[in-house]
Amino acid sequence: MFNYYAFLILASFVFAIGVYGLLNRRNMLRMLLSAEVIFNSVLLFLLTFSALSSSPSTGGVIALLAIGIAATEVGVIVSLAVLMFRLKDTVDVYEISEQKG
Amino acid sequence: MNELILLASFSILGIALVVFAASVVGQRSLVYSALSLGLLGMANAGLFALLGYAFVAVFHLAVYIGAAVIFILFSVTMFREIPDVEVSTKILTVITVPLIALILIYIYLPYLNATFKSQYFIYKEISLLFVTRYWFPLVITGLALVTTLIEGITLARMEVEEDV
Repeated sequence: MFNYYAFLILASFVFAIGVYGLLNRRNMLRMLLSAEVIFNSVLLFLLTFSALSSSPSTGGVIALLAIGIAATEVGVIVSLAVLMFRLKDTVDVYEISEQKG
Repeated sequence: MNELILLASFSILGIALVVFAASVVGQRSLVYSALSLGLLGMANAGLFALLGYAFVAVFHLAVYIGAAVIFILFSVTMFREIPDVEVSTKILTVITVPLIALILIYIYLPYLNATFKSQYFIYKEISLLFVTRYWFPLVITGLALVTTLIEGITLARMEVEEDV
């Protein structure tokens, strides 16, 4: 009755919501938040597939490394957004890309 | 009975995950969006625990929610709220996004009959994997975290020249 497919369907829906947010926003921080939604769904995919595999511990190890790297990525992007806001007074990615140099 | 509890837990966590994901994308306030991301991470950690990865769930709560999301939450308070400008691709994304979900669901159809079983991990095996096979990614992750710390401090202390 209850199987792994339910986890995959759930992760697919969350992934689609994240993609919607990423495509529809121009604010750098909102895009980061949408990317984090996608990251969460992909992590769920990874752990579901590793639970199905013959060596489930490997998936757990990769997930731990991925969470560490995600924390790093958040630090870098938020710092860049703060710097952009101080320099250009905006975090709109369209405006920033127009103001080259 | 056991399966009923499992199903109920999955339903509650699954609904919470989708609702908070929609809240992250749909909220007008950045602060509430970041708060929803934290709650989404908590629901996700519950699902990891349900899959048997209790150690990943705890790590997710400690590192991701406890550090990354809180960092976003405090950072967004420094920005003034910027009204969202809808881009012209909105109609395109409304069509594309359900398509993505349906394609993924179709791709994973072979796993329709993959029956759920509880996993029990030996933590010694995980630490052995880290030390023997995945030592290099572990070093790189550590270095990346230290570099981010230095980068964050440098950017925070950077003087911005005033336009004359």
